[in-house]
Amino acid sequence: MHTLIVIDRLPYGDWHGREALDMAFSLAAFDRPVTLLFRGAGVNWLRPGQSADQLSQKSVERNLSAATIFGVSALLADKAALRQYRLSSDQLSQSASETDLTPAFYKQFDAVVVL
Amino acid sequence: MTRSPALSYTLVISGAPYTSQAPQSALAFAKALISGGHKLDRVFLYGDGVYLASSLVTPPSDEVNWTQLWSEFLMQTRTPAVACIASALRRGILDSAEQTRYEQPASNIAEPFEMAGLGDWVEATMTSSRILYFLPTD
Repeated sequence: MHTLIVIDRLPYGDWHGREALDMAFSLAAFDRPVTLLFRGAGVNWLRPGQSADQLSQKSVERNLSAATIFGVSALLADKAALRQYRLSSDQLSQSASETDLTPAFYKQFDAVVVL
Repeated sequence: MTRSPALSYTLVISGAPYTSQAPQSALAFAKALISGGHKLDRVFLYGDGVYLASSLVTPPSDEVNWTQLWSEFLMQTRTPAVACIASALRRGILDSAEQTRYEQPASNIAEPFEMAGLGDWVEATMTSSRILYFLPTD
């Protein structure tokens, strides 16, 4: 069963994204296929040059950099949201692939989790 | 009319009581699925949903105590209920083992809730027919 974990909120504003990431890492730890999708404001997780220490938080960049090492199949970013937030795939902090969020895209997955 | 085959469910609650309707909706659904002949495998509290497991929830006497209602339901139906340990510790929900481990002055998890890791949720994704998520209100 391939699960899509969706992060659609800004980093640092709340803990939804971090806890969604924990779900992805847990699935990967049990060798369950899992893909991470950043959509909406969530694409800002991929913004380079984050200074989370100014917010007394840990940077999400370090967490994300471990995703594929821990077995997350892929990091995907909503193409439209990247455009909306003036990000291009070649400047992202992680190697995420752009994707169009069509119904066919979601149908690839057996489960979609959005916290 | 043929009856649909019985299914097994895991309910994931990630919205807190009193700031979201998630625990209330999940309880209504849990009762409905059991009365429909289906099986409730377990309840998994995640994120802000762990506040449901606080034994210190004390609403005014003319308001519903969702923790108490859930606890009664879980005990009557003998349904396992787990609060994600990382979410719970972060939000100040502790059982006696974690109280000891972190040298905190008290524990406050309501019976029959227990604490466990996300591995329980992963297992549920492999064993339950359906996983339903009851989310916080935006």
